[in-house]
Amino acid sequence: MLSAQERAHVAQVWDLIAGHEAAFGAELLLRLFTVYPSTKIYFKHLGVCPDEAQLLTHGQRLLEAVGVAVQHTDHLRAALSPLADLHAQVLRVDPANFPLLIQCFHVMLASHLQGEFTVQMQAAWDKFLTEVAMVLTEKYQ
Amino acid sequence: MGFLSAEEKGLVNGLWGKVNVDEVGGEALGRLLVVYPWTQRFFQSFGDLSSADAIMSNSKVKAHGKKVLNSFSDGLKNIDDLKGAFAKLSELHCDKLHVDPENFRLLGNVLVCVLAHHFGHDFNPQVQAAFQKVVAGVANALAHKYH
Repeated sequence: MLSAQERAHVAQVWDLIAGHEAAFGAELLLRLFTVYPSTKIYFKHLGVCPDEAQLLTHGQRLLEAVGVAVQHTDHLRAALSPLADLHAQVLRVDPANFPLLIQCFHVMLASHLQGEFTVQMQAAWDKFLTEVAMVLTEKYQ
Repeated sequence: MGFLSAEEKGLVNGLWGKVNVDEVGGEALGRLLVVYPWTQRFFQSFGDLSSADAIMSNSKVKAHGKKVLNSFSDGLKNIDDLKGAFAKLSELHCDKLHVDPENFRLLGNVLVCVLAHHFGHDFNPQVQAAFQKVVAGVANALAHKYH
């Protein structure tokens, strides 16, 4: 559960991302695939070497889903239920991969936003994304 | 090929040469304590850790962060034998300090974030990949002597 202060920080982070979902999403995926190559197995449909267009398309989809989560921090389970079903029944991404994505998210935000991405914002964003990951993998067993 | 490729060594040493090890150490340890508050369990004697601001300006946190990162930096000089370089410290962290090795991974990840913070766009995916390899190697080396 996020405190009011944490929800405010999450909103602050989202304000810096909104409008640039495709670009941020693409970089997030690129970092994920470069740093943790085993994660590529979940994206076989993007081909052996996804090109920029594919990264932008898929990246946008990913970040738009994050945006939905940001709007519903109080009812994540309800808001993300279809995505949770998808991850449990179709995608079946091993839960160990979500912290890898979260790390890449922090690194990306830190490198783009530098001073604007404060330690309080990182703490709240980490808590929020960890909750999202938990909801997405809750129906696995 | 050793632990890192020649290209990765170049990326790591190139960036590390520009790092203010003392400052980055304090920042990384501070960030660890703020973002993952349960890690404060090892620092009960450090005084005021009651808020993010208190932690980031705490002089004991800065001093300890400096010590930790200087150790890390020394270890980097032996990148092809991290287990040897950190053997004594591994024993210390197990036998005396009783630190769960998971904390080494957390601190490593936070250190990577701090580097990204400082170097901005220069901290591109290839540089991140090389550093994540390094911090994972150091974490494993520090866990190696646990029994």
